[in-house]
Amino acid sequence: MGRLINPEGGSRPPSGPPPEDKVAPAKPALEAASPSRYGRFFDSRVGVLGAQAASIAAVVVAWHVAVRTGVADPLFVPAPGAVAGALGTTASEALPRLGDTLAKAFLGYALAVSLGVAGGLLIGSRRLVHAVAMPYVVAAYGVPKILVLPWIALIFGLGTGTAVITATLFAVFPILLMVAAGTRDVDPTLITAAVSMGATRGQVSRKVLLPAVLPSVLAGMRIGVVFAMLGVLLAEMFAGTRGMGFLMQRMAMAFKASELFAATAVVSILSIVVVLSLEHLNQRLSRWR
Amino acid sequence: MPGGTTPPTPPIVLEAIGKRYETTSGAVQAVDSVSLTVRAEEFVTLLGPSGCGKSTVLGMIAGLVRPDAGRVLVDGTPCDGPNPDKVALVFQDGGLFPWRTALDNVTFGLELRGVPAAKRREIARGLLEPMGLRGFETKYPRELSGGMRQRVAIARALALDTPILLMDEPFGALDEQTRLLMGEWLVGIRRRARKAVVFVTHSLHEAIALSDRIVVMTARPGRIKDVIDVTLPFPRDLNAPEVTDLRAKLWEQVREESLKAMGNPP
Amino acid sequence: MTVLAWRLGILVAILAVWEVAVRPLNPIFYVPPSALPGALVRMWRVPELPALGEHVWLTFTEIAGAYALAVAAGLWLGFLLGLRRTVGRIYEPLLAALYAVPSVIWYPSLMLFFGLGPASKIAFGVLLGFFPIVLSVLAGIRQVPATLVTVARSMGARPWTVFRKVMLPAMASTMVGGLRAGLALSVVGVLVGEILGSRAGVGYVINYAYGLMMTREYAVLALIAAAAILAVDTVGALVEARVKRWAG
Repeated sequence: MGRLINPEGGSRPPSGPPPEDKVAPAKPALEAASPSRYGRFFDSRVGVLGAQAASIAAVVVAWHVAVRTGVADPLFVPAPGAVAGALGTTASEALPRLGDTLAKAFLGYALAVSLGVAGGLLIGSRRLVHAVAMPYVVAAYGVPKILVLPWIALIFGLGTGTAVITATLFAVFPILLMVAAGTRDVDPTLITAAVSMGATRGQVSRKVLLPAVLPSVLAGMRIGVVFAMLGVLLAEMFAGTRGMGFLMQRMAMAFKASELFAATAVVSILSIVVVLSLEHLNQRLSRWR
Repeated sequence: MPGGTTPPTPPIVLEAIGKRYETTSGAVQAVDSVSLTVRAEEFVTLLGPSGCGKSTVLGMIAGLVRPDAGRVLVDGTPCDGPNPDKVALVFQDGGLFPWRTALDNVTFGLELRGVPAAKRREIARGLLEPMGLRGFETKYPRELSGGMRQRVAIARALALDTPILLMDEPFGALDEQTRLLMGEWLVGIRRRARKAVVFVTHSLHEAIALSDRIVVMTARPGRIKDVIDVTLPFPRDLNAPEVTDLRAKLWEQVREESLKAMGNPP
Repeated sequence: MTVLAWRLGILVAILAVWEVAVRPLNPIFYVPPSALPGALVRMWRVPELPALGEHVWLTFTEIAGAYALAVAAGLWLGFLLGLRRTVGRIYEPLLAALYAVPSVIWYPSLMLFFGLGPASKIAFGVLLGFFPIVLSVLAGIRQVPATLVTVARSMGARPWTVFRKVMLPAMASTMVGGLRAGLALSVVGVLVGEILGSRAGVGYVINYAYGLMMTREYAVLALIAAAAILAVDTVGALVEARVKRWAG
C-alpha cells in the first residue's frame, strides 16, 4: 500500500506479491575471510600498515639509489634528499600560494554545493523535470570541461574569477547527479507513512525527505571537494598568475625538479588528509545505514 | 432501542466504493462496488489473491486513495484525506524511518501532534516494553530482525491511540516461523488494544487465527465474494474440527479466485 | 506535452536565447550560434592556423596509445589486487588515497620528465584512464556470487576454467562500465595535456586560437571536439548496454 501515494500527486496501481529479497540476504562473494598465504601477520591491521609503510620506504630507497648511481638523471628525477631540502626553501613562496588556491577552491566548492544540492533536489523530486533535464545534465557531465576553460579565461581574465568559476563548474555536476539519484531513491512508503500520521508538506520535507536524502548529499559533497580543487589548479595552470597551479607550471618550465616534486607532494598529502577527514566524518554521521 | 440510547456509529462504513487506475495498457478496475460495515473493536480480515484490490480498499479507508465511486465514512463523516486521529496504519515492509531509533520511530506521530518530548518517550516505552523490545529502544531498524521491525511498526501505529487500525499484510515479508509467532502475539494483544482492525492478508491461517469476520474478495476487479463470521473463542486451536471445516470452505473460495487471478479460469 | 517535445523545446530555447543575447555583445568574447558554420569553413583555409587534419590525427593517436596502455595497466593491476587478497589488502588503500589527489597535479612533473611532446600527453592519459578500470575490476571481482564459483568447482572445473567461464562473464557488466569511463578519462587526459602545454594536437590548436583571440574558431573547435567525444561515449554506452544484456 505504500506505493499508492507518490509525492507528485498521481497514483499507481497496488504493488504485487511481497519482495523476495527479505527472505535470505545475498551471500557474500569471494572475499571470504580466508587467511593470507603470506603469513598471519598480514591479516591484522598492524601487518597491513607495516607492509604499506615498508613498501613506501622501499620505493624511496630505490629512488635514492637510482639517482645516486646515475640511472635516473637528476635533472628530471631529483634525489629524495633534494626534494626534502626544497620543501624548506620553497615554503615561503609556496605556502601563501597554496592558501590562495585553497581559498578559491573553497569558494567554488561552496557555490557548487549550493547549486548542486538545490538542483539535485529539484530534478530528483519531479518526474517531468528529471526526464527532460537529465539528458542535458549527463551530456554536460560527459563533455570535458577543459574545453570551456579558454572561454571562461577570455571573459574573466587571468585571476580569481576564472579559478572560482572553473572550480564550481567541475564540482557541481557530480554533486547534482548524486543528490538527484538520492532524492529519486527515497522509499515512497516512508512518505506515505508520514502522511498517514498527519504530516503536513513541510513536515514531510523536514522530517522525512531531508534525513533520507542526507547520505547522498554528503556523498556528493565528499566527491565535490576533489573536483573543486582540480578545477582551481587547472585554471591556475592554464591561465593564472597566482596560486599553486601556476607556481607548479612555472617550476616545470624552469626545470626546478626538486621544488616541483616537493610542491606536488605537499598538495597530494593535503588532499589525502582532507578527503580522509571527510570520510571519517561520514562514518560518524552514518551509524544508521 | 430500549433505554433510549442511540446505536453507536460504526467506525468504518464503506458504501459501494470503487477505484479505477489508468495504466499504459488501458484502464484497470481495481475495486468494484465494495460495501462493508466494521463495528467497534471488531477484527475484520480482507482475504484474497494478490492484486485483488484489498490494499486499495485499505488505502481508501485510510484516506490515501480517493474512491471513484461510492464513499467511505469514518465515524460517520465522509473521508477525504488522511485521518491521523482516527486511523493508524501498519505497512507490509514496516515503513520505519531508517535514520531514527526504534523509540524515535514510535514517537514520530506524537511529534507531529506536538506532544512534549518526555511524554512522548514515556508513551513509546510503554508500548515497546510489552512487545518484548525493552533494551532495543535505541537500536536502529537496520540492527533489528524482521519480526522486531514489524513490532516497532505496530507500536508506532498504536502510539496515536486511534479507534481504527489498518494493517496491510504486516507479516508478509517475514519467514514462516516468525510469521506464526507474530500471529500468536497479535492474538494476545488484540483484546487489550480495543480497536476496530481491518487486516489484509492472503494467508488463510492468519485470517482464521485472528478474525471476527473474514471478507473474501474476488480477483480483479475486487468485489466481495463472501463474508464469513467466525465466532470461535480465542485462542483458536487450528486443529479443531470447526477450524478445519472453515479452512476447507475458505480455501475452496480463495482457490477459485486465485486461479482467476493467475489467468486460468476454474 | 511529451518529454521529447519538452527536450527539443529547451534546446531550441537555449539556441534562440543564446543568439539573441549575444548578438549585441563584444564579438571577441561572445559568439552567437549563427557565426559558427562560417567559422568552420574559414578554419580549413586560414593560413595562421596550422593544418588541422594533422593535429586531429596526432591527438587521435595519442588517445589510442593512452587508452591501450590504460587498459593494459588497469586490467593487470585490477586483477593483481583483486585476486591476490593480501596484495590487495596492502595496496588498495594506497591506490584509493591516490584517487583523492586532484590528478592535474601530476601533469607539471610529467611535462618536466617527458617534455612537451606526445609522450607526456599519453602518460597523463594513462594516469587518468587506468583508475576507473582498476576500480571496476576490483568491484567486478567482489560482486561475483560465491555460489556460482562453488557450482563450477563442484562440477570439476579447474581454476583457469572457472576464471574464464564463470568469473569473467559475471564481471563483464561491471568491467565494461569501467572500460567506458577509462576511455572518457584518457581522452580528457590527452586533451588537458595538450591544452596546458604542447606543440601540436587539437588542444594545442584550441589554445592557439584562444591566444590569438580567435573566439569563433575556438568555439567551433571546442563544439566539434565536444560533439565527437559525446558521440564516442554514446557508442560506448551502446556497447555497455549490449554487454549488460548478454551478461545479465
